[in-house]
Amino acid sequence: MLPEGPAKKILIFVDGSEGCVTAAQYSIALSKKTGADVTALYVVNVHLLDELVKARIFVKIEEMDYEQDLEQDGKRYLNYIAELGKAKGVEIRTELIKGVVSKSVVDKIQEMGADLLVMGELDPVLSRTDTFHDEAELIFRKAKCSVLIVKNADYIERLYNALE
Amino acid sequence: MHRDKQGIIEELLDLAMKTGKIKDREAVLKSIMDREQLMSTGLEKGIAIPHAKTMAADGMVMALGISKEGLDFQSADSQPSHLFFLLVAPSTAAGPNVQVLAQIARLTMNTAFRDSLKDAASPKAAFDIISKAEK
Repeated sequence: MLPEGPAKKILIFVDGSEGCVTAAQYSIALSKKTGADVTALYVVNVHLLDELVKARIFVKIEEMDYEQDLEQDGKRYLNYIAELGKAKGVEIRTELIKGVVSKSVVDKIQEMGADLLVMGELDPVLSRTDTFHDEAELIFRKAKCSVLIVKNADYIERLYNALE
Repeated sequence: MHRDKQGIIEELLDLAMKTGKIKDREAVLKSIMDREQLMSTGLEKGIAIPHAKTMAADGMVMALGISKEGLDFQSADSQPSHLFFLLVAPSTAAGPNVQVLAQIARLTMNTAFRDSLKDAASPKAAFDIISKAEK
């Protein structure tokens, strides 16, 4: 038996970039067409904060302060994306978790049975080292479901605006 | 460069001021020095990363100082510091701020990078070394 459509459960990777807003707009358009459930996920990168403490760049109190800031930023991004969905009649479930970003996203795909991960454009690879540290790059490589990298922000915005 | 910690920081801050992104020099200086009071940002292997997150900055600013002979910055290994990365970021940019600090940490783990930057003959040469390392 064939699957019902290209995607039933969409997960949007939210990192606060303009690209993730474009990814959300595309996901909303896709959901309008297919009826797919949409979840937006933001991961507070506590692993990186911990690394900065180990490197002695941060002290513990600073780590806690930055963690709070990142959490507040994440909530703000998720609320914005939920509102984008609401404006077009698409309910977007939001989740904020803490951990290693790439692992948390890959685990969430598995946990919720997502069949499509939607994310913004990857940064141009700056160096070989970055390839091993760029979380979006790692997610793209490790995700067990199909991954859609959304490009052409101007076109997607027009597509989103045209939705009823 | 100045020879004491506050002098080094003030010299770098004055450089950062030229970007026009710092609204209140004294407030930023206080934030950086308050952070230094918690624990020196003088790390090992000649690196120092004084930094602050503050409402007194409109955007992220970094200034680099280089001392070939090395200066006392109360470093973790008690050795002179040669490379000073001053980073000032607005309170609203926690994510990019953390990413930049991590990138500095990664770049400075490389001995060849540290050595070449320490020996940079001019600001342009230092800029080129960093740009090349990021490619």
